[in-house]
Amino acid sequence: MSSYQNCEGITRRDCLQFGVGALLGTGLVDSLRVRGEAGKQGAGPRAKATSCILIWMDGGPTHFETFDPKPDAPAEYRGEFTHTSTAVPGVLYSEHMVKLAASLGDYAMIRSIRHDQGNHGAGNHYMMTGSPPRIPVGCGAFVSFHPSMGSVVAKELGRDNGLPAYFSMPQMSRSGGPNFLGARYAPFVVGDDPNRERFRVRDVALPRELSEARFSSRTDLRGRIDRMVRLNDEAAGDPAMAFDEYFRQGYDLVTSPDAQKAFDISQESVEIRDRYGRNGFGQRCLLARRLVEAGVPFITVYDGGWDHHSNLFGTLRKRLPEWDNSVATLIQDLKERGLLDSTLVVALGEFGRTPTISTLSGQNAPGRDHWANAMSVLMAGGGTPGGTVVGSTDRKGHSALENVLSPENFVSTVYWKLGIDPDKVLYTPQGRPAHLVSNPTPIRELI
Amino acid sequence: MTAWRIAGHAVLLAVILLPSSAMLCAPVVAQTPTAGEEAAVDFNNDLMPIFTRFGCNSGPCHGKSRGQGGFQLSLLGFDPDYDFDAIVKEGRGRRVFPGAASHSLLLQKPTGATPHGGGRRLAEQTPEYQLLVSWIQQGMPRKAPDAPQLQKVTVAPDSLLLANGESRQLTVTAHYSDGTTRDVTRLTQFQSNESPVVAVDEAGRVEAGMITGEAAIMGRYMGQIAVCMVSVPMAGEVPAEFYAGLPRRNPIDDLVWKKLERLAITPSEVCDDHTFLRRAATDICGRVPTPEEVESFLADSSPDKRAALVDRLLLEPDFADHWANKWVDLLRPNPYHVGIKTVLNYDRWIRQSFRERRPWNQFVHELISSKGSTWRDGAVTMYRDRRTPEEITTLVSQLFIGVRLECAKCHHHPFEVWGQDDFYSFAAYFAKIGRKGTGISAPISGSEEFFFAGTSGEVRHPITRAVMTPKPLFGTATVTEETEDPREVLADWITSSDNHLFSQVMANRVWADLMGRGLVEPVDDFRATNPPSNPELMKLLGDYFRDQQYSLTELVRFIARSHVYQLSSLPSDRNLADTRYFSRHYRHRLRAEVLLDAFTQISGVPQKFDAMPPGTTARQIWTHRTESLFLDTFGRPDPNQDPPCERTTDSTVVQSLHLMNSEQLHQDLTSDGGTAARMAASEMEPVPLVTQIYQLVYSRKPTEDESSFAVGLLTAEGANRRQVIEDLMWAMLNSPEFVLQD
Repeated sequence: MSSYQNCEGITRRDCLQFGVGALLGTGLVDSLRVRGEAGKQGAGPRAKATSCILIWMDGGPTHFETFDPKPDAPAEYRGEFTHTSTAVPGVLYSEHMVKLAASLGDYAMIRSIRHDQGNHGAGNHYMMTGSPPRIPVGCGAFVSFHPSMGSVVAKELGRDNGLPAYFSMPQMSRSGGPNFLGARYAPFVVGDDPNRERFRVRDVALPRELSEARFSSRTDLRGRIDRMVRLNDEAAGDPAMAFDEYFRQGYDLVTSPDAQKAFDISQESVEIRDRYGRNGFGQRCLLARRLVEAGVPFITVYDGGWDHHSNLFGTLRKRLPEWDNSVATLIQDLKERGLLDSTLVVALGEFGRTPTISTLSGQNAPGRDHWANAMSVLMAGGGTPGGTVVGSTDRKGHSALENVLSPENFVSTVYWKLGIDPDKVLYTPQGRPAHLVSNPTPIRELI
Repeated sequence: MTAWRIAGHAVLLAVILLPSSAMLCAPVVAQTPTAGEEAAVDFNNDLMPIFTRFGCNSGPCHGKSRGQGGFQLSLLGFDPDYDFDAIVKEGRGRRVFPGAASHSLLLQKPTGATPHGGGRRLAEQTPEYQLLVSWIQQGMPRKAPDAPQLQKVTVAPDSLLLANGESRQLTVTAHYSDGTTRDVTRLTQFQSNESPVVAVDEAGRVEAGMITGEAAIMGRYMGQIAVCMVSVPMAGEVPAEFYAGLPRRNPIDDLVWKKLERLAITPSEVCDDHTFLRRAATDICGRVPTPEEVESFLADSSPDKRAALVDRLLLEPDFADHWANKWVDLLRPNPYHVGIKTVLNYDRWIRQSFRERRPWNQFVHELISSKGSTWRDGAVTMYRDRRTPEEITTLVSQLFIGVRLECAKCHHHPFEVWGQDDFYSFAAYFAKIGRKGTGISAPISGSEEFFFAGTSGEVRHPITRAVMTPKPLFGTATVTEETEDPREVLADWITSSDNHLFSQVMANRVWADLMGRGLVEPVDDFRATNPPSNPELMKLLGDYFRDQQYSLTELVRFIARSHVYQLSSLPSDRNLADTRYFSRHYRHRLRAEVLLDAFTQISGVPQKFDAMPPGTTARQIWTHRTESLFLDTFGRPDPNQDPPCERTTDSTVVQSLHLMNSEQLHQDLTSDGGTAARMAASEMEPVPLVTQIYQLVYSRKPTEDESSFAVGLLTAEGANRRQVIEDLMWAMLNSPEFVLQD
């Protein structure tokens, strides 16, 4: 790890020791600063959490019908749903968020994050990376100008234990890639549905038709077939040596009962599987918890279809109770297992939705459109004070009003809780310094 | 900002202050100030170096774009006017008090007398502190009367031969317009481009490590750079006759041997025939040899069969797809940004160019001066994707002349001579691009757009707001009243036979593709402070490429027919640690597409790619959006990424897991319609069968030992012939001999 080779052959160690870092007065400074801080109480990001589960609500979830209802607003703002009270007196949720309303004491709700990127491509990039896209991008665009939180966490907290450090299920989010950190920190995508019988995490389990005995005899055979001469000296930089190391790690993973257990969701009791909800999303949340237990530092549970331009109420009536249940169960389950302190859970999408209900031409059921002036973000675990509601929007839900926060603040909070200095300077393969987050101020109330 | 920041910077203090011995640092204008007679302090010559040397204007401190604590300096001091204003005029003048100089914030902060986020950086009683005091007492003059201008910086010595562990002090001298010089070693920042070979400390002392090789030591003072080349030969002597006796197939060999002689490294032996065959086929055509090719090449006894093989491979259509596949990585944009049809056209234009063997200068010229419709003229896609002169500038300069201007957009490039004037003058060539039709539009940018030579548009300097006149980075390329399209002028300049960077950058890329490493690394980062590991060879390759009318085919032939290209990866007794000078072949992992196509050739089951006809190979795919878990796993670039990145050839555990366990690969390998099933059902005897398998997967014949081992498995009692074949193939596919090029 110490001589991580980036994609153009400069080693990070070179940069740190004598090169770019020393010249710009950053790399070395940074590492010293972090080291200096480690020895001080109360200073700097002290890692509470060692893992993060990111629930990505792709499309931009409505804040009105979830965590920020406006019961006093006129009907064209308020929408069809009524509200429910939460565990915190005076704080209301929309009617279908029953379980999360009851357990608000276990987590925090941020109601005042806003930005100005009202299309999917840009909004996704901003929330996933903490950095606005460098050039204007279209709604359908998939862009990456900066490493995503998942890739950064994989790089900073990943251990060389054979387990991929960054999972994304069932797909990668648009801007969830590593950018200049390189393919090594790309998410390990698990496309299969854990709600299906015979589900397996790809590549970490043997192919279905292959018996363990045959696998074992194959690896035996491999040992005897492989005659390539190794240049057994680090100075020679022989890639065959690296290959051996990765093969060994992979082999250990496949043959280790503990590791295999992590991926085997069928080991969960029927009762717990039911509790999470027998649907793809619920079971992915459960699998995410198992991966956390196995030591995976970052897991994205990608949940698509929150772009409700039409038929908002009809769709959400069906969807929200299940979603509410799965997320509430995840937080509850982590808490019961004593994992909530070391596991950060966040749920969000790229933005909120318009205050006024609209019916687009060609549609007959109303919805809400993109709205980046306000959104709601859930944050649990990793020392997040439960029952905290940060900020608020105005009476009609137009915009964040009180304690207005940015995506940078949000992403900095995530890094902070994982013990990563959001003010860290990363180096691109060109040796160009890039601030991890341009405004590295975390949300004070959540630290 | 918060408590931890302050705590953090305190640690830094120790690092910065340690070397602050009491070396004198007198103002330039008065070489020896006498007591009572204050020398006039010059802001540019005397103070700016201090802000740089103590890190005040560095990226994480006051040099960052939002400043620090409300105080912002230009990054690394590229704009003294700005810095003067920031210190003297901003902050309501509270940063400097001429009445009580030592109470100025400019001194209170860095000395720690007032809390400073950056910690204590400057001690009182140092010459630097005294200079600051004097300057404030003198009323903060912008310039000292008759202050000379810094003209250049030199380093002495400028080249060195050091033994392992030996060290030497460098001296940096600043030369001024009035003929005076000054030793600025103490205020110079030093950097080594190969610190394990030769390290340099803050005081400019170089020390050779225990590794053999060369390093460029850069000294940077006030935006000027001087470089010292240091060679560290291997201990022990190699007689000159040894090098004189080495084979020379073409001039490449001679220049490589010269470098090895200087470093006392000896080359490896020539590689085996089968290694050469697989190496040449994967490098030139991006495919592994067929078993028939292996058979006939090994049986061929003609002495020039390797050269003949290179010639034959160069004629194959695979050559075009393989090299196009490399370039589409760097050029092809995201279809979700520019539109699907547009990208398809662009891909087709790029591939067609390689199929026609279009000379590289024509390819680049056509691309830069492209006009027409995104639906008919693929080359204009670059301008659809890169919509501002600034964006095009960074892409074009990096790809085609190896100059990275990204930094110069916002500040003086910290490692080079380029500044904002250079950047925006270059960008001005792209100021008047005309556009018609539909631009980038949500959600898929599906419409047509036209590009032509426009009549209006300008590029302005972001600070001075001056309208920039198009100017190349060096040489001349004048745009006149008669010029219809300034891009034509730029294209002429870039592809000119006088532009050594144009030919060298491409030659370096091709060299890196064939030799496993560039003469310049990163391959597109050409600058004085990042010299080639063998400058003479770099020049030879660039000149050859130019003289062959920029023919990629001829350049590949030139390299592949050298003796150096044939060297084994196995070390001699004097080159194990060489990873720079090409004394042996450097193993590397095969590219994603090459590996997948090799796997397909072995399994005998064709891959299915979306939006491509059956039988398509991975290197023919027109967009990285085409789903393939295999290609993603083995480092195909993320199609969302901007800017595009050179690929990494790293191995990862995810790759090992995929080869080991992928459901898809398993199904292909064990398919009833696959190679293993077909071989099992054949009447073939075990011995030729094993030979077939080795030729198919490893592109070689098994040794006797290997053969008898595998035959033993096939003929063991109760052996399942098909399973044994499948298992053998799996075992071989999961070994480095398959995954790597040797």
